[in-house]
Amino acid sequence: MTTPRGGLSPWVHSPVARALLALLLMMALGAVFSADGAFFRWSVHRDMLRQVSVYGMLACGMTVVIISAGIDLSVSSLLALAAVSFAWLTLPGAWPAFYAILVVLAAGAALGSLSGLLVARMRMQPFIVTLAMMVFARGLAKVVSGGRKITNYVTAPDGSSVVVDLPRVFHVIDSRVLGGNLSIVTIVFLVCVALTWVVLERLRLGRHIYAVGGNEEAARLSGVPVRRTLILAYALSGLFAAVAGICQAAQETQGDPETGMAYELDAIAMVVIGGTPLTGGKGSVTLTLIGVLTIGYLQKILSLNAAPEATRLMLTGAIIVCAVLFQRGK
Amino acid sequence: MAPTSPPLLSVRSARKSFGPVEVLHGVDFEVAAGEVHVLAGENGAGKSTLVNILSGVHTEYDGEVLLQGEPRRFSGPADAAHSGIATIHQELSLVPAMTVADNLFLGGEHTDRWRQVDFTRQEREARRLLEKAGLDLSPRSLVAELPVSLQQMLEIVRALAREAVVLILDEPTSALDERGAEALFRRLATLRQEGVGIVYITHRMDEIYRLADRITVLRDGHHVGTSPAGQLPPTELVSRMVGRDLAAIDRVPPTPDDEVVVRVRDLHIRHRGLPTHELVGGVSFSLRQGEILGLAGLQGSGASHVLRALFGAADGRVSGSMELSGRPHFPASPGEAIREGVILLSSHRKAQGLAPDQSVTHSVSLASLSRYVASLGWIKRGVERRAVQDVTTRLRLAAASLEAPVRTLSGGNQQKAYLARCLLTQPRVLLLDEPTRGIDIGAKTDIYTLMRAWAAEGISILLITSELDELLLLSHRILVLHRGRIVAELDGNSATKDGIMGAAMGHAEAPGGAAP
Amino acid sequence: MLHRTLAALSLAVGLTSCTTDTPPGHAGTPGDPFVIGMSQSNLGEPWRVQMDADIRAAAETRPNLRVIFKDAQNNSLTQRAQVEEFVEQGVDLMIISPKEAAPLTGPVAAAYRRGIPVIVLDREVQGDEYTCFIGADNVRIGREAGRWIREALGGEGRIVELKGLMTSTPGRDRNQGFLEGLELDDHPDLEVIFSGEMEWLEPNARREMESALATNDVIDAVYAHNDPGAHGAWLAARATGREEEMLFVGIDALPHEGQQYVAQGILDATFLYPTGGAEAIDMALRILTGEEVPKRITLGTRIYTRENIARGGEAIE
Repeated sequence: MTTPRGGLSPWVHSPVARALLALLLMMALGAVFSADGAFFRWSVHRDMLRQVSVYGMLACGMTVVIISAGIDLSVSSLLALAAVSFAWLTLPGAWPAFYAILVVLAAGAALGSLSGLLVARMRMQPFIVTLAMMVFARGLAKVVSGGRKITNYVTAPDGSSVVVDLPRVFHVIDSRVLGGNLSIVTIVFLVCVALTWVVLERLRLGRHIYAVGGNEEAARLSGVPVRRTLILAYALSGLFAAVAGICQAAQETQGDPETGMAYELDAIAMVVIGGTPLTGGKGSVTLTLIGVLTIGYLQKILSLNAAPEATRLMLTGAIIVCAVLFQRGK
Repeated sequence: MAPTSPPLLSVRSARKSFGPVEVLHGVDFEVAAGEVHVLAGENGAGKSTLVNILSGVHTEYDGEVLLQGEPRRFSGPADAAHSGIATIHQELSLVPAMTVADNLFLGGEHTDRWRQVDFTRQEREARRLLEKAGLDLSPRSLVAELPVSLQQMLEIVRALAREAVVLILDEPTSALDERGAEALFRRLATLRQEGVGIVYITHRMDEIYRLADRITVLRDGHHVGTSPAGQLPPTELVSRMVGRDLAAIDRVPPTPDDEVVVRVRDLHIRHRGLPTHELVGGVSFSLRQGEILGLAGLQGSGASHVLRALFGAADGRVSGSMELSGRPHFPASPGEAIREGVILLSSHRKAQGLAPDQSVTHSVSLASLSRYVASLGWIKRGVERRAVQDVTTRLRLAAASLEAPVRTLSGGNQQKAYLARCLLTQPRVLLLDEPTRGIDIGAKTDIYTLMRAWAAEGISILLITSELDELLLLSHRILVLHRGRIVAELDGNSATKDGIMGAAMGHAEAPGGAAP
Repeated sequence: MLHRTLAALSLAVGLTSCTTDTPPGHAGTPGDPFVIGMSQSNLGEPWRVQMDADIRAAAETRPNLRVIFKDAQNNSLTQRAQVEEFVEQGVDLMIISPKEAAPLTGPVAAAYRRGIPVIVLDREVQGDEYTCFIGADNVRIGREAGRWIREALGGEGRIVELKGLMTSTPGRDRNQGFLEGLELDDHPDLEVIFSGEMEWLEPNARREMESALATNDVIDAVYAHNDPGAHGAWLAARATGREEEMLFVGIDALPHEGQQYVAQGILDATFLYPTGGAEAIDMALRILTGEEVPKRITLGTRIYTRENIARGGEAIE
């Protein structure tokens, strides 16, 4: 028997509203398990936002690629490569920060477009292409770093080892503004979100990405330059991964070739929990922002209450499934 | 002549709602043994919903379903199928990468006592079933390699592999050419003699009167009436379906201008993998400004390949010459063709036309975005919205909102959205491949009127349609293709269905045709 | 009885194959140096990179040694293949830092039975068919760290522990030793107020420390199971301006990592988890020149603090 739904239904049917509801439920959970009221202090939320920012930057690029009906597994390795390159250019290389950032971002975008090129031109599956790129970029990160962490303890030209001052850019990125209430990396993350939003919602490129993800053949027959669109989507993902890598290096005060392992899975989870389906053609970065916050709060609540690792893993898995079921309105 | 035998399957006062919207308002329907009962109505009239209740797809509804007099409530499609209700939906549900035999027993595999699939037995059984259906087909051939018409027949064989009491077909001929449809009708006649009750949904007038014993008309979820086919003349049927009299369309087309817009000379399209195999083997024609040129042909005639070549989406290697307004026209991509003022409406709306989750606005403006962008690709959304609003109003496209996803639209309105996209590119040449496939009569009439208007405005149209009535109604001239060659050129006013069919089937005596 | 026969048989087989398959050993002179095969379980961890570096450095001072390095990339089967390759190559001695005990016990034993001395580093194999095991004692290092913190705090204070993976042996041992070293029963004012798992990763340690800082107004010391963890904790504390109020103690003391953190004043102390690389080369030379060596060598640790870092730390035997 059918029962007419209540007045709430149109509201509940909007994906953004559902995602927000999930986030609110998560925050309610935080209020209950507040770790002696710690959850009610802004500093806890500020730290959560800082902690989640790097993942969020990856999730922005991942959103773009997933909407194009692809996937980008290489973001974690591109992050490590960017972190190592950035540390290598600024610490032993002593490059000015501006040029180092420029070069690293360009390299991230270039490797991203290489993935895109293989997907678009060679008709290879995104999963396989980016899996290969993931392995390759991790290897490249180890080559650049010589397999070690690159710190401010550098080898001088004469072979002796000296400690150099950390360049100012490291401190700037890992600092806070607004009376210490907001981390710079969080602002960088929000800028990435805004940029992604503009691309997806306001630019022709965004329309093309949705069209290609929704029905590639239809997009082609509508005159959409499918190859260029795919290449740009992956380039954007590589670019955001490079931004994330620079932020990671600044926060760790070093370039670690092993950093960011398996971050791509967190980024994918954040996109999916927000409500963007992996099938493409659908979703938004607004949803991803909510997904990022939902996972961020989950991790923060578990951490505040010192939950053991095993519990965390199980709860995170369960919550991913619940969130996706909830998104479907089951 | 209403059958006197008791109904095999019937439904009483069926009601069904989706969310707060009731789409079926208490419908009665029945089918008797040895009867073909046609279910007619425009898209959105509730036909598919009713069929979905009968076939167990919808399990939540109000009302009562009786199978051979027993009240039943199916728990799902499998339950209905086991109870003897075989359903063939509009979309094919075969697995292309599997063999004919595998598909026939999909979900009901014959297994040995180790629960392994017994392939020998399946093959034997499949051979028997195919033979019974009169299909000359190896159980081992891959479904992907079969023509659509055979796939459709296979779908029916599969549905009837189990002992079926009732067979439900939802627009089974939409993907078939005349020959395939012919084979299907013969098969249905046999089944009817065997005492199977057949529920048949179609939009095609000729099919309705050819097959139906009784006709039930639905409109907006209401049961308008059930009559024996002999007592319901076509005009009455149409007015029952649309609830209004259709504006009669004048069959005499306006005279086109003389300027040639498209000239094709000796066009060959060779298969990329098999260069000796020609998809199109030397086609020459010209299309004048404001002319509607009909291309007729059965499946494999090559007409669609010609359209795709003109659109920069050729299916093989192109040679010969194509000209647009006197200049060579070899678009490297659809994008280039669109910039030149040529656009294609593909016959596969779902696979090649629309993305279901995109909003109406985004779907309609996709091909003409370059008209609405400022620097850096920034979309001027106000201009875009006005243009979309304008074109959708002209096409009488009915949507809850232009922001709604296109999947929420009825088939006819989806087709209008697709047409609107083409129109918004301000084309000089419209390539229309089956522009009215699977849409209701009201929408069809709208589209006919519009096509006439566009031609009058000076747009040149190349039209492919498998409905001969439509072809005759709209075309100034008709080219008949057979196996990649033009076999006849007919005048729109004097052509007849028989003449077209004869030529299309390759009869050398076709009028005006250069024999291949 | 049967066992003894089998053992004798296998010994016989081992001896014959020794004489037939294995090429004659090298002379151990600069012209014809001893060849040592080194199979490292993975080079993803900086500590293991250091182990290879220590072996290389020690071997370079001895012209009569040549070392072949292989990296098993965290794959037991790859490592097993490497052991077998070394045997086929006819190395004079093998050093292995196994990924895990069970799958490598057999290959190591087979090599040993064919007369190739095997030095097992850091992680053990089962049984006793190897020449010498060299390893450190995580429980003991943890205990030293606990004692140092207890003494530095004067027997009272609030401590945060940032644990590695508690499903790993080093994680469990460093936790157990630490709690023993604190002697909590005798010091009621000493308390572990927050204990988080950071999976050996610096970003995670920073996250955990932020939680600890948010829930605790007074923290006197942070003990992390590795130096990157302690560094992450320090970054978290510095971000709230609280890095001066507490001690930071880590473990591993790699030259480029923990020792540098101490030298820069980030960590207050770090305890060496020795790689045993130099000791392995020492033992190798003694074995190759026919000396008797002990079956098991447990390495001591060194403590590095701000006071002694310039002198190269201080050994704790």
